[in-house]
Amino acid sequence: MILAYVFISITAIMLFFNLALNVAKRRSLQLAANAALLSILSMLAAYMLYSGYIYTAAGTISFNPFSLFFILVFTLGILLVNVLAYGHSEDYGSFALLASFALIGMYLVSSSTSLITIFLGLELASIPTVFIVLISRKSLEAAAKLFIMASIAVAFFSFAMALVYGGTNALSLSTVPKTALMAFASVLFIASIGFDASIFPFNIFIPDVYNGAPAYVTSMLGGINKKMGFAALIQVIILLFITSKSPFIVLAILSVFTMFYGNLAALRQENLKRLLAYSSISQAGYMLIGIAISTQYGVGASLFQIFAHMFIFIGLLGIVGWLEGRNRHRVSDLIGLSGENRFAAIAMTIFMLSLVGLPFTTGFVGKFLLFLGAVRSGFAWLAIIGIINSIISVYYYARPIMAAYTGRAGEYKIRMHRSTLIVISACLAITLVLGIFPSPLISITSNAGAYLFNAH
Amino acid sequence: MITPLILVLPLAAAMALAVLAGKRRAKYVALAGSIASLLLLPLIGYGTQSIGWFSIPQLAGQGKAASIQITTMVTSLNMLLLIIILTIAPLIMLYSFGYMEKLDEQRRFYLEMLAFEASMLAFAMSGNLILIFIAWEFLSLTSYLLIGFWDHKPSAIRAARKAITTVLIGDLAILAAIALLWNAYGTFSFAQIFSSATPSPSTYLAAALLLVAIFTKSAQFPFNEWLPDAMEGPTPVSAFLHSTTMVKAGVFAFIIMLPLFIAMHLTHVVMIISALTLLLATLNAMREPHLKKVIAYSTMGELSLMLLAFSGGAIAAGIYFFFAQSFYKALLFFGSGAAMKANGEESDLNKVSGMKGNRLVYITTLFGVLALAGFIPFDGFFANVGIGASFASNIIAYILISAVALMTSFYIFRWFLLISKEDRSSSSYLNYKIGPKSMAFAMVPLAAMTIAASYIYFYFPSFLSNNASYLSAYIGTTSIPLSITEGLIESAIIAGGAAISYAVYKKKIGISQRLAYYAARNGLLVNAAYSRFALFVYDLAEGVTLFDIYLDSAFDMLAGAASASGERLRRMATGNVNAYAMIFSIGAIAITVFAYLVGK
Repeated sequence: MILAYVFISITAIMLFFNLALNVAKRRSLQLAANAALLSILSMLAAYMLYSGYIYTAAGTISFNPFSLFFILVFTLGILLVNVLAYGHSEDYGSFALLASFALIGMYLVSSSTSLITIFLGLELASIPTVFIVLISRKSLEAAAKLFIMASIAVAFFSFAMALVYGGTNALSLSTVPKTALMAFASVLFIASIGFDASIFPFNIFIPDVYNGAPAYVTSMLGGINKKMGFAALIQVIILLFITSKSPFIVLAILSVFTMFYGNLAALRQENLKRLLAYSSISQAGYMLIGIAISTQYGVGASLFQIFAHMFIFIGLLGIVGWLEGRNRHRVSDLIGLSGENRFAAIAMTIFMLSLVGLPFTTGFVGKFLLFLGAVRSGFAWLAIIGIINSIISVYYYARPIMAAYTGRAGEYKIRMHRSTLIVISACLAITLVLGIFPSPLISITSNAGAYLFNAH
Repeated sequence: MITPLILVLPLAAAMALAVLAGKRRAKYVALAGSIASLLLLPLIGYGTQSIGWFSIPQLAGQGKAASIQITTMVTSLNMLLLIIILTIAPLIMLYSFGYMEKLDEQRRFYLEMLAFEASMLAFAMSGNLILIFIAWEFLSLTSYLLIGFWDHKPSAIRAARKAITTVLIGDLAILAAIALLWNAYGTFSFAQIFSSATPSPSTYLAAALLLVAIFTKSAQFPFNEWLPDAMEGPTPVSAFLHSTTMVKAGVFAFIIMLPLFIAMHLTHVVMIISALTLLLATLNAMREPHLKKVIAYSTMGELSLMLLAFSGGAIAAGIYFFFAQSFYKALLFFGSGAAMKANGEESDLNKVSGMKGNRLVYITTLFGVLALAGFIPFDGFFANVGIGASFASNIIAYILISAVALMTSFYIFRWFLLISKEDRSSSSYLNYKIGPKSMAFAMVPLAAMTIAASYIYFYFPSFLSNNASYLSAYIGTTSIPLSITEGLIESAIIAGGAAISYAVYKKKIGISQRLAYYAARNGLLVNAAYSRFALFVYDLAEGVTLFDIYLDSAFDMLAGAASASGERLRRMATGNVNAYAMIFSIGAIAITVFAYLVGK
């Protein structure tokens, strides 16, 4: 019990520091405070996960293996994005403040016990996100698009909530009866959360927004906000609709569409950020496989993939943002990268190969778990479609990699900002270390999956 | 503990190359790395070792083990492949000293070669589906890099893409097969799966998928087109990947998984496909003007011959062929590389000349030619006689094999006579003389091996049947027949092929006076003689090539279709918010309707 209060207090302290230091315009102090507090929070979350901590506060939020997993993911992600933003943002102070608001929203989403808390959390996270996109004046259009689409999603979510309340007289996250009304509600939930989780066809706006925002913001959108969508989706779909069949079939079909949409559209992208946007869409498709098979190991595998993808995506966007600062946006602009900065070239190669699913990276382990899980629960066709998609993806990841290693070799070197270097190294280390020794993460994610299925 | 170490050494050398920036020392590091792992060869012990990688506790149950282990396995078969890789790798590196002259290219080249060697070693000692998949994936990746090594050549990039397109189909297949086999048998271990293989729809599908993987890697019909194109890579790459090691990974996988294919009754399919590929490859080799592609087609044919032998029950003979083929094939590629280098990267057989300028290269290449054709006392003789005698009772297969032996002898002598013809006016003669010494030196041990491997023939069955593990039921029972009649027939056939080749390309007699007339009129003497002689065969091969082209364009179309739909999808994200909101709503309606239909 005490740990939960400590956790909440530190979160509040973080918010306070951000407010005060943003007003005082002490940027480096603000980064230091954020880094320190977020590190403490992630360590605390990791400790609570490790010790199997479970605590439910007043029927609104709950700390359990599932919520703590997502809390850990979001804290680490926001920590990394903070460091990236410090090197790139025009207004780091406002960014950090808004990001800390968003983080609290994400905490709410992952540790909620009722639909109301999830709704609140989603709103608390997505409104500051719109303003984060707005920090860079150039991305007004992207922010507007994000805002309009978010409003539509909110409308859908509210309607779905109303249906659930009408049908069950409650808004708790517990199984609802199998009626046509509830099936309709499930579909509305999928549509509205599909906006956050970038599920086809609710993700059409994504390449525009990802491309329009500065790279560090994109890394937050695709690396963290999207994962929040998954946190909400898993809870709502599994906890409310586990007894009905149709939402899971819908998800399986949407997963196929999402994978193909992302991969096929990425094939001819010349713009690096758009390419990564489509690639992250296809990755969302893989994550959906684990939810669609509706078993605890499926969810566990999805969680693994979520964890893996967040670090890969943030690392890649770190490299893209660094290049963007030198006005290089296209795949062809990567030519000569290996000569200019070998670390960046190698890191990009490893991240991209990990997305393909090369053994000894987290990307492989995640996909392997997903495919084994799918075959195990009789979804062999879904696994095979997933494998076909990984093969397609090789073609568009191969282009940046090949470009990076061609062209004028080693004529001059380009150094990275230290903060970017730290973020990329951290992401790279996690991708490789947890790819070679995935056991600890697997046990965390499978515990989280198991909790979700057994607790209710 | 020694077994993993031989893999670590090339990898460590590759790491050293990646981290330390020394351009000039790159080649020495590569050579040292490959020799060091060769020195460990005598210390390798038989048996299996497992390292736990990770486990998924919740997947366990219903007889399924959920621990993912990396298992290495050394049986006599694995040992054989290890010996091939480890002995040839240092020679390849030595050859590359002379071949890869540009300093800027060297570090990347040796790094990729060492990474390839490590993946190949991992493949050679894989004892479960996990390790074989990992090694398979890394083989695809490193071979892609090596084929496309000269990335300033568009043809090289195209060839690399073609190779990876084909090979990735195999990767896909093997991953799917792993999941299906695991679901059926609850384990990843070869010994357990293959000792209890029972037919069921899902295992049948898995075995078929594995066959697809094998055919892609070993360039069998209809996945054969990538291999000749892969000759765009540097010659040491062709010698290492596309004749002695990587392409044989498919054949090797076939033999270690043989019990599964026998249980699923898939060996007849393999027989038919390998016979078809054998014919196709040999006919192509006879009319191919590109000097490296002749050898590539020849490799393709030999891979088919091995698969034919394995699926037809001549297992020990096939494995001996597997072993013997490596040395003379690498040697022939070395010869091709030397010829291309001396002739200014000219690859047309009709335009190269002057191999006699370097006696050492000339004689060692001749060794390779004689061994490939199958003359006694070279290892090719024993390999061919072994397979021929094993099929003595199967008249169709025997006729096919004999015809192929005749054609093989013909095309390889054609190749040799053309490559070594004199042309005083060209500078190639001098180029051979001043060519890099290391290239010629690397060829000598290989030439020696073509004879030494003949003596290994007599100890081969006992070597194989020791420590054959779960395969002993298949390997232990077959011996390699050696009959004197078969040897005489074989020798007569290949001598005939060589004589025809000699008559056509060297003496230019025996066809008739008309030949000289045509030759004089066309100016292209050799070409005309060739087309006159092999008119029928040529037409046949041409027909086959046409079919090849159709297949090829089918692959291209597949890639094109994927790209075109990518174009269309991209247009959907035009930046119009109204459109997005529209798509959102339509999507929601669509899934609602869908859910309603499913719910009903």
